[in-house]
Amino acid sequence: MAVRFVDRRGLNDVGNLIPDWKRMRRRGAASATAIRMARVLLPRSRKPVSLFISLAGVLLAFALNASPAMALSLNPDAASPGIEEGNTLHWILFVVILAVIVIVNLAILRAARPRTRAVSPKPGKKLSQVKLAVGLGVFALALFIVATVFSDKSREIPAINAEPVAGQVKGQPLEIRATGQQWLWRFDYPNASFSYRRLIVPAGVTVQLNLESTDVVHGWNVPELTGKAQAIPGRTSELYFRADEPGTYTNRSSMLSGQGYDTMEIEVMVLPPDEYEAAIEELRKNIQIAQDKVEAEFQASREKSEDAAAQAEEAEKTAGEAEEAANEAETSVAEANNEAESTDSE
Amino acid sequence: MSRTTSYPQTMPPTRPEVSSTGPQEERSRWAALASSADHKDISRILICSAFGSLFLAALELLLMRVQLAVPSNVFLKGVTFDRLLSVYGETAIFLVALPLIIGLLYYVVPLQIGARTTSIPRVGQIGLWLFIFGGILLYASFLFTPPEAGINPLPPFSDATFAPNNGVDVWIGSTGLITLGLLLISIDLLTTLHNLRAPGMAWRRAPLFTWASAIVTWLFVVIAPIFLAAITMLLIDRLYDGGFFAGDSGGSPILWQHLTYLFFTGVYMSVSITFLAAIGEIVQTFTGRELPRKAIVWSMVAIAIVGTLAWTQNMLTAPIGSGWKYFGMLMSLALIVPFGLIFYNLISTVSQSDFHMRAPLRFALGALSLASIGLAAEIAQSTIAVATQLSQTYDAWASTHFALVGFVVFGGFAAVSYWYPKMTGHELNEDRAMKSFGLMFAGAIIAILPLFGAGVAGQVTDSYRWFSGEDFGVFNAIAAVGTLILFVGIILAVGNLIKSRSEEPVATPDPYRGDSLEWLALSPPPAHNFDVLPDVRSTRPMRDIREAVTRRDSVDAEAGSAAQPVA
Repeated sequence: MAVRFVDRRGLNDVGNLIPDWKRMRRRGAASATAIRMARVLLPRSRKPVSLFISLAGVLLAFALNASPAMALSLNPDAASPGIEEGNTLHWILFVVILAVIVIVNLAILRAARPRTRAVSPKPGKKLSQVKLAVGLGVFALALFIVATVFSDKSREIPAINAEPVAGQVKGQPLEIRATGQQWLWRFDYPNASFSYRRLIVPAGVTVQLNLESTDVVHGWNVPELTGKAQAIPGRTSELYFRADEPGTYTNRSSMLSGQGYDTMEIEVMVLPPDEYEAAIEELRKNIQIAQDKVEAEFQASREKSEDAAAQAEEAEKTAGEAEEAANEAETSVAEANNEAESTDSE
Repeated sequence: MSRTTSYPQTMPPTRPEVSSTGPQEERSRWAALASSADHKDISRILICSAFGSLFLAALELLLMRVQLAVPSNVFLKGVTFDRLLSVYGETAIFLVALPLIIGLLYYVVPLQIGARTTSIPRVGQIGLWLFIFGGILLYASFLFTPPEAGINPLPPFSDATFAPNNGVDVWIGSTGLITLGLLLISIDLLTTLHNLRAPGMAWRRAPLFTWASAIVTWLFVVIAPIFLAAITMLLIDRLYDGGFFAGDSGGSPILWQHLTYLFFTGVYMSVSITFLAAIGEIVQTFTGRELPRKAIVWSMVAIAIVGTLAWTQNMLTAPIGSGWKYFGMLMSLALIVPFGLIFYNLISTVSQSDFHMRAPLRFALGALSLASIGLAAEIAQSTIAVATQLSQTYDAWASTHFALVGFVVFGGFAAVSYWYPKMTGHELNEDRAMKSFGLMFAGAIIAILPLFGAGVAGQVTDSYRWFSGEDFGVFNAIAAVGTLILFVGIILAVGNLIKSRSEEPVATPDPYRGDSLEWLALSPPPAHNFDVLPDVRSTRPMRDIREAVTRRDSVDAEAGSAAQPVA
């Protein structure tokens, strides 16, 4: 006989809408185990319908993303010391968070189980509030200590490389200035060269990135090397990193800065130190060539304009002479007229 | 609680208990409602506009999610997306969350403390109209230029140089009017709480929701002026060439972040406190058991203070001193204690009790479930090393949205369906409520959970498109489907609130056998709330009144007189 799940107050009308687990259990031991497991997770009620739909949707979302890049991509690849500590902390917290979510939600599911003749909860013994608060406090403090340890480590300035590259003072990090502007990043290197959008850094060299902004707040965002930081106008904030390997990291800014925000990319190109030196030297040369070209064109146009000015002056002179001549002619005509008039009057 | 035995027993109210229904209305209903300074009318307008705005916010979110569903989508232009984003953020905070909590508190709390009116009702009325004009201003701006500088328009991006059109001015004006209005209503509620409690309603006997209202209104009185000051400074910067937030003239753009994040964090905590207390009331009523008051009240106080002090948790990537950052981290992690205590007490009380599952309780458990995911995920967001990676990504977005959708939407429907019979005088259709709950719950999970995946893969928020080169997979597409489901669920749930008023049977004053005094008033309560001011002798005054009436009736029956109907 099917068991109808009757509320203890006799008001439950959902009994015939939910699966009859007892009858299903008779069908076989294998399915019985599965059912028993399901019963632990999903107590007998109508609620699992929405739960099933939602879980299925979410599982679908994660399953369809099973590309190699997605698999276990909880964290960015650590390409600089300090990032690895952040990744470890995230893994620890991920496990803690997942445990908290699962425990709390299983407790809620258990609390929401329908009341039947078989299930009649009795007021159990409650934990003492003080003990509970102390326990939670210890938990929070432990998390704080763990987070502080890992955060401190991740914020440490990486060890300075022994062999300085061009533009680097020995024992000091290589200073590069990154300036955010709507909607590009500009990078100024020690040899007075600069580049837009693409930052070139040497591998194995500790870099001090001075973040600035010329207009609005921009979000510096390179997860593999530095993580995020705000570039704020009127203020310089320092970021330190040391790229381990040559490679290229492409990311985008992370703070809404206007219409071009979605295309405000940051590309960090890590090169071996000698190639880096050659690259920024070439950059400097190219800038010099471009500068010379601009200068030459400017001079050419100025000369041209000077010629034009001289011609204009000449033309003005000629025009003045012509005017004078015209005036003279006019005067002579007038004089002639006067003379003629005087002769007429005579 | 054995407190009832240590005090003299409550006297039964004199007869007739509750009989009048207030003076006959002479004006048409809308005119009466618009000119009313009654706290119930004001709250009804606030709650109705909150649900109307919830529809708008869900629609805006849906449009944005559709735009982001596939890479390089051309459904919306960039500027349209920015406008929707800015208006969505303001709607969700200032037109849904805040009016909903203030409206619920302002409706229920005067009834719970046995007050016949509020202390300074005209102040509440001014507050309502400021709120209404703020809301109208925001949506009227679609006729000219809606705000487009993001959910929190950070200077200098919101300065006149970089946002020369009127969008930010609209944002300042509407948030200012709304905050000022709700601040005035809070002040009215606060003075009522301190002056008009019924005889015997000491603070130690005040219901949880009343305690929450005291905490939330005090908190709002502290944080709202800070926000008003911040937007005034921005207005001066914009219109009169001030330099509060300009880096080159002695001001600081960081100052804006400190001031506004203090306010927004305080709002987050107010929302959490209010709905945890509402869920507490629901749990107490349906399980018939009392929660440990001291623990819950102190936890709510701790959430208000510690949680608001955790504002630098939002600024872990900003160039501020490390001390600020560790302080923010410590305060956010310390929140585990009060939230954990409240969650434990709520869930264990439900778990150990016998009850009949009704719509308010189901929404309440759904709210706890979603909020637990969001609050747990905030743990990662509040540690410095992880926040430098995950802040401003969809991981942060999903954490906040789980907590706020859990509390505001599910907690909101829980609270409103719980007090629905009291507010409208009709029962709520349980069947439709359960169905809409299922849709909304599935929708919320599908809409938000996948975005954790997109967030850890590095998708940044506020951008109107992403490109196929960025490997965010189908998280966004699934989230768009989920948002659609959530949207449909919200429409059904709001539709149920509207339909039940005309279709469902008339509700009795005390349909759930509640313990607090709002159930003594008629449903809906008359303008003066109570004919007889109740006499409070314990934390469960309504139960005392029921028992007193039963005692009196049995005495009457023994005396042979006819039993009078009891209100």
